[in-house]
Parts: sequence; C-alpha cells; structure tokens
Amino acid sequence: MSPRDDRARFSALLEPELPRLYRLALRLTGTRVDAEDLLQDVLLKAWPMLDELEALDQPGPWLARVLYHRFVDERRRFARRRLRIVDEAELPAQRIDALADSGDDLHDYVRREQLALLEQAIESLAESQRLVLLMHDVEGYTLPEIHSITGEALGTLKSRLHRARRRLRELLPELAGDGTIS
Amino acid sequence: MDHETTTRCTALDERLDDYVDGGLTADERLALDTHLAGCASCRLRLERERELRALLTDYRAATPAPAEGFLAAAVARAARQGRREQRRRWLGAASGALIAASLALWLVGAPPLSQAPAPGLPGITMTVAEPHTLRLLFDSGSALADARLTVELPPGVALAGFPGRREVSWHTSLEAGRNLLPLTLVAMDGAGGELLARLEHGGAERTFRLQITTRTHDAKETT
Repeated sequence: MSPRDDRARFSALLEPELPRLYRLALRLTGTRVDAEDLLQDVLLKAWPMLDELEALDQPGPWLARVLYHRFVDERRRFARRRLRIVDEAELPAQRIDALADSGDDLHDYVRREQLALLEQAIESLAESQRLVLLMHDVEGYTLPEIHSITGEALGTLKSRLHRARRRLRELLPELAGDGTIS
Repeated sequence: MDHETTTRCTALDERLDDYVDGGLTADERLALDTHLAGCASCRLRLERERELRALLTDYRAATPAPAEGFLAAAVARAARQGRREQRRRWLGAASGALIAASLALWLVGAPPLSQAPAPGLPGITMTVAEPHTLRLLFDSGSALADARLTVELPPGVALAGFPGRREVSWHTSLEAGRNLLPLTLVAMDGAGGELLARLEHGGAERTFRLQITTRTHDAKETT
C-alpha cells in the first residue's frame, strides 16, 4: 500500500468523525486553540492504528475515548493555558454564532437568546454533569458509548444525566412549551 | 387533584427522561400516555422537556466550526508526522537489529553458547568511505532473553549510528529461528583491523572476531 493510499484511507475513515470530535474537544478544553491541539494529538495517535480503526464498525467512540483520556492526562496543561488572554470570539458567551438563519429575524433573535441562556445554564453545571449532558443530549453519544469513552459506570452516567437535566429545568423555568422564553 | 393523579404525576417526574428517550416498555408508556391525556400540567411539562431537548440539539448546530481548512490540514499533518515517526521507529529497530546481526555470523553453525567457540576467522573487504552492510544469517535453536552484546571496532572503522565509538554494547532478546540482519560499517581510513563481538548470556560468554580488510578506490588491500 503506497503512502498516498494510506493517506486516502485515513482521510476517508476519519473525516466524517472530525466535526463531532472537534466539538467534543472544544467542550472539554473551552478554547478553539486548545481544541485544535487536542484533536491534532488524537489524529497523530490514530495514524498508526489505521488498520485497527478500519476493522471497527464505528471509529467515532474509539477516537472520542482517545481524545477524552488525552484531555484528562493533559488537563493541567490545558488548565494552565486557559489562564491567558484569549480571543473574545473564544469566550463562552460569544459562541452562539453558527446557528443557521431561518429567514425569520425575530425567530432567530429569540433562538439565539434562548441558546445564550442555555449556555449559561450549562456552564453552571458541575463538570461531571455538564460533560455527560453535552455528550449525550448535544452530541448524541449513547450512554453505553459514553461509558466506553470515559470508563464511568453506566448507572453513574445515567444518574448524572438525570441530575443535569433537572438542574437545567430549574435554571430555565421560563422555557415555555411553545418554544419561546416568556 | 386526587391521590391517584398525584401519584401518576410523580411517576412522570421520575420517568420523564426515559419517556422522552424512548426507554420505557410499551406498558409503561401506555400508562403514562393515559395519564398525559387527562393531565394538562404534565402535558406542559412534557412539552417543555421536548423544547429543552430541541434547544440542546440546536446548541450543537450553533457551536462554532473549526477554522476553515483546519480539519483537512490536521489530517495531512497527522499523515506526514505519522510517516516520519514510522521511519524513525524502523531506524530504531534497525539499530536494535545490529546486535542480532553481529551475533548472526558468529552463531551460524556454531555450537550452543555454553560450549567452546567454533574456530575460524571470517573476513570482509571494505572500500574506504563507503558504507558496507554485512548481511548476516542468525539461526538460533532457542530464544536468548536478556543477552548482552558488545562490539569492538578497529580504529578507523565506524558502526553506522554510533560515530566515534570504538565500543558499543546493547542488551537484547533474540528470537529463536532464522534472522537475516544488516550491520552497516564505514571504514574511515585504510588501516583495517579486527572487529570483535562478545556475547554474554546466562553467565556464559562468547567472542567472535571478524577480519576487516580495507582498500581505497585505487590502492591495494590492507589489513
């Protein structure tokens, strides 16, 4: 197999997984620069595992597990790097920019306001609750997948998810059934 | 609100996540559906929960994408660095193979390590300043774990990867079976001399000697 073929296989296998993996990195590290570093580390670890990854039904959870444990191992480094001046666009309150326009300015305005409130509520959760909520309800990983990624017991994860949702409901009591903040 | 209704409202409280996630049995779901049909308060709670889930899904869509071109560039970097790392490992393995390579020529046809060394002094001829790779066959009847090999070089002959070293030692484990291994030497001058390889394993020691003859492109051979 030529190097070019390896590169093509690597790209074909990983590229569909990268957007979700990048978002997970962003949620863990908190800044774009660190997310990019973390994802790059994971790709470097994945390269020699190409044959093994191709044998998996879904490489996504494997990649997420590598990313998660890399983050845990390097948590202090990322924490130190958080103590620096960051671009304003990287700050949590500025992240709600990518929502596609619906064509209805008022609807988009209300939705962005809701998302900003949601983000504040998510940021206020305990870290362990925030992580499982983001992975499950936002990124769509199943609980067994999150178990495989983090190594946490299924029952613990389910309980944290339940508590995280309950806390969000408490923090967002004005969320009405018609999709607006009253 | 009667006692039964209150109980079922509590049941929805407890099972709301499972209800929305689709984690209930058909019977459990039917029981809650029946309750929901008659309880406006719980219907509102369910609607709010679904709205919250929809908002969480939108939150994913609202997450900023990486810088343009980053993902493709990251894959390209990983491939590039991965190949470099692969080459480095191969070179590392080749250096490790030097140990076994030196042993190979020594042990081919030789008696077991605990016995007396086989006589004979093989030799090679090298051209000054040109790398010379010995391709040595090592056929060991059994694995040799934690052996120590020392190679002593004559003045003016260098072992690739160890410039300026007259003596190089390694710890290694050798596998049973046949091994064809390279040992790359470079003659720096025309003096030539004797290469000595010493294997120590399990308290036993064996020494192998190889006569190196060198020549320049134009000059006649020297030893």
